[in-house]
Amino acid sequence: MPVIRDIPLSLEISEVLRREGLGGYSKVRPEIKSLITELLAGVKKAHLLEPAVAYEIYSITEMSQSQVSLEGNLVLQCSLLSSLLPQAKELAIAVCTIGPRLEKQVTDYTNRGEPLRGILLDGIGSAAVDSLTQEVCKFITGEASSRGYQASSPISPGMPGLPITEQWQLLEMVPAREIGVSLTPLAIMSPRKSTSMVIGIGPQMTTWTQAEVCGRCNLRRTCPYKVIPRRGGVVKRTDQRL
Amino acid sequence: MAGDLVNTLADLKEQEVIKIAKDRLSAGEEPLKILDDARKAMGIVGKRFADGQYFIPDLVYSGEILKAVTEIVKPKLTKVAETKRLGKVVFGTVAGDIHDIGKDIVVFMLDVSGFEVFDLGVDVPAQKFVDKIKESGAPIVGLSGFLTLAFDSMKQTVEAIKDAGLRDKVKVMIGGGQITDEVRKYTGADAFGKDAMAGVSLAKKWIGAG
Repeated sequence: MPVIRDIPLSLEISEVLRREGLGGYSKVRPEIKSLITELLAGVKKAHLLEPAVAYEIYSITEMSQSQVSLEGNLVLQCSLLSSLLPQAKELAIAVCTIGPRLEKQVTDYTNRGEPLRGILLDGIGSAAVDSLTQEVCKFITGEASSRGYQASSPISPGMPGLPITEQWQLLEMVPAREIGVSLTPLAIMSPRKSTSMVIGIGPQMTTWTQAEVCGRCNLRRTCPYKVIPRRGGVVKRTDQRL
Repeated sequence: MAGDLVNTLADLKEQEVIKIAKDRLSAGEEPLKILDDARKAMGIVGKRFADGQYFIPDLVYSGEILKAVTEIVKPKLTKVAETKRLGKVVFGTVAGDIHDIGKDIVVFMLDVSGFEVFDLGVDVPAQKFVDKIKESGAPIVGLSGFLTLAFDSMKQTVEAIKDAGLRDKVKVMIGGGQITDEVRKYTGADAFGKDAMAGVSLAKKWIGAG
């Protein structure tokens, strides 16, 4: 089963600021902006990011309203797929992480009495996971395209229709241990700066943006980390509801 | 002069705040008065945070400035004043959950606001909360959990506190990503805080300092 490491990540300051809760129209204090810049340089210098992905592509054998059956007698409880991606022929399962080093540095800052550096670095880590997710999606899209298929946008456990408890199943379906990812008893990923996802592959797949996902989330009114749609029609609309 | 410190800290002008604190101390001013002004400033910071003018990094930055002021005046404080804290709080992320950044922010803000906080870390078993409450005599407990799956763990922790005969002796607050009053009722906690400052306000209210 495939594992890819050393994936180049691009950390845009706007995305880092969003992950600090300073997105949208928030005013950013110069001291904080300069500290973020300093931390970003430190992340690179100290090689705090160790991006890796473990993935596998499975053929879909049957799809019902509540679950998807895959080759190898595997079953995924996911009510989203039949409504959102009825034409999917395959499912790509991916587990990604930026590794434990950045988290350890966050803990060190906090323990040293420098919580501001800690929370800002934590936000940089979250932005790095977002960037890694995008890179993995690009890769899966390319792979699907080479076989004449399209790839959907990613669906992650915790989204309505894909219970977070399905993390157990997803991590069994890829070599997650090879990249050092495991679950706590509550299905929380360790290292924390990790994510898992399901991507539909087929002749015609629906895509959506993170802004649309945020727009339909229960926390959309209060979440400081939400993605706000850009003006000018950059956000791609779909008829399907996530 | 007092207004200078209050407003300068509320505006998060770190270097100016430190200069004012040092100048006032050199002029022989009572160190507790300086700390009192710094805490008044934190009240303004809290309001600005609640109003959406300030964000989490600003809040933590204000805490770091307050901490710096505290370090400056500390050598001049009497032993009694130095050790005087508002109250004790036992805090941790519940069993099975390993998210720490939200918990760390609340612990830091409680600490700089004058509470003695016993931070038990993450993935804390219910019994560890019970043991620390008994050992410290803390009247306030904070349970943090980020995902919905942590709600059962919070509930089990509150039940363990009850089974140990401590429920009437402590107030329990919960907080995390998706906490609502429904969740609060489900877990059996007394209150929930939607952010760090709400946690500080609750703790102050419960010890009669709010």
